[in-house]
Amino acid sequence: MAGTKYEILDPETGWLDPSIYTDQEIYRREMTHIFGRAWLLIGHDSLIPNPGDFFHTYMGEDPVILSRGSDGSVNVLLNMCRHRGARLVRADDGNCNSFVCSYHAWTYGLDGELEYVPGEQEVYYGELDRSKLGLKRARVATYAGLVFATWAEDAPSLEDYLGDARWYLDMEFNRSGKGTYAVGPHKWIQPINWKTAVDNCSDWYHVPVSHASAANAMFRVLGEPRFTHDRLFQMKGRAAFVNGHQVQYFKMPEDSLAGQSKSIPTATAEDDTAEAVERLGEFRAKSVVLGTHSLFPNTVLGFRLAIPRGPLKTEFWHFALASNADTPEQQREVLRVHTARNGVTGHFEADDVDNWRQVSESGLSGTYRELGQRVNLGIGHTHTDDVFPGALSDRFVSENNHRHFYRRWEEFMNADSWADIPLDPQKATYEGTAGMNE
Amino acid sequence: MVVVTVIDRDTQSEVFAPTASAKSAQELWTELNAFYIAEAWLLDERKLHEWLDMFTEDLLYFMPRRKNVPSREADREIPPYGTDLPFFDEDRKMMLVRIQRMDSGMAWAEEPPSRTRHLVGNLVVQRVEEDGTVHAKTAFLCHRSHAEYDTALYSGYREDVLHPVDGTWKISRRTIVLDVNVVLDKNMAIFF
Repeated sequence: MAGTKYEILDPETGWLDPSIYTDQEIYRREMTHIFGRAWLLIGHDSLIPNPGDFFHTYMGEDPVILSRGSDGSVNVLLNMCRHRGARLVRADDGNCNSFVCSYHAWTYGLDGELEYVPGEQEVYYGELDRSKLGLKRARVATYAGLVFATWAEDAPSLEDYLGDARWYLDMEFNRSGKGTYAVGPHKWIQPINWKTAVDNCSDWYHVPVSHASAANAMFRVLGEPRFTHDRLFQMKGRAAFVNGHQVQYFKMPEDSLAGQSKSIPTATAEDDTAEAVERLGEFRAKSVVLGTHSLFPNTVLGFRLAIPRGPLKTEFWHFALASNADTPEQQREVLRVHTARNGVTGHFEADDVDNWRQVSESGLSGTYRELGQRVNLGIGHTHTDDVFPGALSDRFVSENNHRHFYRRWEEFMNADSWADIPLDPQKATYEGTAGMNE
Repeated sequence: MVVVTVIDRDTQSEVFAPTASAKSAQELWTELNAFYIAEAWLLDERKLHEWLDMFTEDLLYFMPRRKNVPSREADREIPPYGTDLPFFDEDRKMMLVRIQRMDSGMAWAEEPPSRTRHLVGNLVVQRVEEDGTVHAKTAFLCHRSHAEYDTALYSGYREDVLHPVDGTWKISRRTIVLDVNVVLDKNMAIFF
């Protein structure tokens, strides 16, 4: 294990080793080297608005409690009793004063401090140091209401971790000072490796094929636009990659769906432009729209999580984010669209999973492992830009982000600590007043 | 006025309700049971357009999430309509999108299509309104087999609002509640 160096991608040819999806040793190392180190999106401020509120979530395979302390602070606690590892919280969410283990009633505060142990004097003889037996706490930070956590003491700040990906993310998550709220999630189990769902976030090549039936039916019944190959090949937006995070953006007005779509959500109200200009500057507010995106390692398409459950098993969580700036009618439409298209019942998402599953299982075939996958679309056709941060594809349809994602995966897997993991320098110009949390 | 015996949905006790038609409780129960059996066969024989015809134009097809909450907070287990991110919140147009895409041969989640078997039973007529509108509850088991070896077993219950139309029934509102928290299926591209 130690000293193993993974070279799973040939950047010259796009050759990709499919055993990264199926190998048990690789999976175990991902849990420590990636999910044990990265800032992981685990929740949203709006899920725990009041003191005593908690929401049960996961950091990789680790069950964690996201709780709001009596002083309003946000805590992220490993949901495993320090005594024997039983879980303190069994509900999806709720409100309480303390977390009580159902095995022996060790009792912890909202901040994870061990407050009470039955028989502390009688059977522990007063020899138990409760101050050393609090619940394991993760580092926690928020961006625009999104709650992230990491187990790594040596991880950079969340702001540095997101880097200039935030220049793009702001356009959706930070558009209004009124913020967003999270609803959901759908939870379901997909028989896939988690990485296939993540790299798919920059894959517009599959859209006219995988999602043809849904898009065509929506064209016929609802008058929605079709995403044809021709249309996508002419898009002016590009794929951008920063620090492991994948972004596809649309350029306005050229790529606009205005007048063509009644229901593709921008998650923002039409009349928010003045505030958006103030917060994001003229250019970001009016000339660019955030498209599909993922945050390294396992956040997919907005506020959705691909939670690893084994090499060929992934638990999906599908939340909807609605804007507090929207009218109730607009919020309701956003939720309806989220319900219909993605999630376990989504007529778009339903058609992805068997493809991802087959891509994942290609690693089981010795014959195919010798061939390898070909993630070679658009190799050599990339650029950088003074305005748009990150590594950019020359066309909207590209696998440039896929290659960067697997290079980033190698950087984490081959690093001994965060000291070995590079961060892209922040170079973007952040016009407007929007910050990480204001 | 004809009076039938039904089970009150809130108290689970027997009550007497008037019906617009001259049907006994037994006749109504038998008729609805036959309706639900016919519906199950349409679903399993993939006659989805005919199945959709069993609903009214202003249909609502709704499946809420099912949360893990402490027993003393059971009122939070099933988020009410309009408050959450349900699995289905569909009107007729969206149902038509879902069914039309199955016709295309490119709805990959169902291509080749699933083999399903819906068993519907435990019919309870909850309430009959003055105009003949019926509120009925059924339980179901649905086995789904897809591709080579993917299987899923769904169990749950449905609450329907049905209207007498041209000698048969049309469903205007269907609420489906699954007996599951994390859905143990790769996608839910089938109907209940």
